Amino acid sequence: MTFSIIARCPHTGRLGLGIATFSIGAGGRCEGILAGVGICKTQAFTNRGNDPLAIELLAQGHGPAHVMRMLEQNDPNHAYRQIAIIDREGNCAAHSGSGTRPWSGHKIGKGYIAFGNVLAGPQVIEAIAAGFMAEPEGALEFRILAALEGGRNSGGQVGAQGHLTERSAAIRVVADPDYPDIDVRVDLHDDAIVELRRVLEEFKRYEVFYRDRGRDPSTAMTQDQFVATLERSA
Amino acid sequence: MTYTVLGRCHRTGRLGIGIATFSITVGRYCYGVKSNAGVTVSQAFANERNNQLALRLLAQGFTAGSVLQQLLANDPYFEYRQIGVIDRSGTAVAHTGPRTRGWSSHVTGENCVAFGNGLVGEEVVDAIAAGFMAEPDADLEHRLLMGIEAGRDAGGQGTRERHKTERSAALRVYSTDTFADIDLRVDLHATAVEELRRVWTEYKQYEAYYRDRERNPSGATGQEEFMKTLRAAEA
Repeated sequence: MTFSIIARCPHTGRLGLGIATFSIGAGGRCEGILAGVGICKTQAFTNRGNDPLAIELLAQGHGPAHVMRMLEQNDPNHAYRQIAIIDREGNCAAHSGSGTRPWSGHKIGKGYIAFGNVLAGPQVIEAIAAGFMAEPEGALEFRILAALEGGRNSGGQVGAQGHLTERSAAIRVVADPDYPDIDVRVDLHDDAIVELRRVLEEFKRYEVFYRDRGRDPSTAMTQDQFVATLERSA
Repeated sequence: MTYTVLGRCHRTGRLGIGIATFSITVGRYCYGVKSNAGVTVSQAFANERNNQLALRLLAQGFTAGSVLQQLLANDPYFEYRQIGVIDRSGTAVAHTGPRTRGWSSHVTGENCVAFGNGLVGEEVVDAIAAGFMAEPDADLEHRLLMGIEAGRDAGGQGTRERHKTERSAALRVYSTDTFADIDLRVDLHATAVEELRRVWTEYKQYEAYYRDRERNPSGATGQEEFMKTLRAAEA
């Protein structure tokens, strides 16, 4: 029970992933993203080793389709996994194994993959893709957020006992191999996508301040001074 | 203004970070931990490249002391940085630049660095180290959380007149795998350390379930079914 999107920004080459799920702490299982290399996200009955392994394989130069075959060859439980892979050029491969819980599936678009399991139906995947494509010139993090909101608004996750709320959610966007551009998480919340929007919007107000004070500390104002400028402009 | 504990488990070699701060989304600065390599955090006016550079050097086999010297030599603003490093053998070193703000310091011991800046006083880093060492044979994530809770309870960030709230906090532990063992975050909250404890306590109930369904999917129950057993156990 999870819905996700992985994508490459066609304008900047930035790579990003967004995820929302009923499980706790989903953002702690998103290691498979590296600037200039690619993204791999394994979910459903996940194989935690897949994502770091796939990043190594992508970094060696293999394409997503071949990486997927190697993951399959490496994993006796491949049929229980749901896996999406994008490389640095935006090439895509996806796998929704027959052992994942229904409704389970994926949609491959130009430079993105929308995928999920234990969903209300295929309309969720379509809504994730539509949310992502709503503002194709927008910043990748907000396109990813719109995708997750689209998935939620079209029914999201539905298990045996009915609708399942999103208890955790995360967005990561990378442009540099040393640190994430955007990395916001909600690990345990009644309405994790709503909370994720709150965290992302707040982070965006601080983003430049946090970056610049590290790059040139000698001219940085204190955070108290910066918060005061935010309050004055509010 | 931040306080942090880096630790290495003397029993298992697991490596981890516990951190709390006024800045939001602090977990995004906590990727400096890797199995069988080491653990590092750069804070105060953080150099955003330091953590991965340090990890690469640790993975190549440089000791913690050598890595720290290289980070300082590489950085024109080293006086503004606060850095902790533990290598795979448990050697722990730290640097607190003279231009970091507020009350700023560190203590190091074998397998442990406690450090912070913008703190109410010296007692905070001592309390973090004491919290970390209180149960030396407990699981590392538990000890790291005890460390930052002790830092909070000793006054945490700000001044003696005015406490600065913790708005974000994070806990990350690596064991022998290529992925994190424990990776929990609170990105924006009025009392982030308390919230991290709540997330951790809830997560611990699911930890074995999440792990086992990944390793043996064919025998796994659905999460809704698993939660029924949790509720039955609570009743």
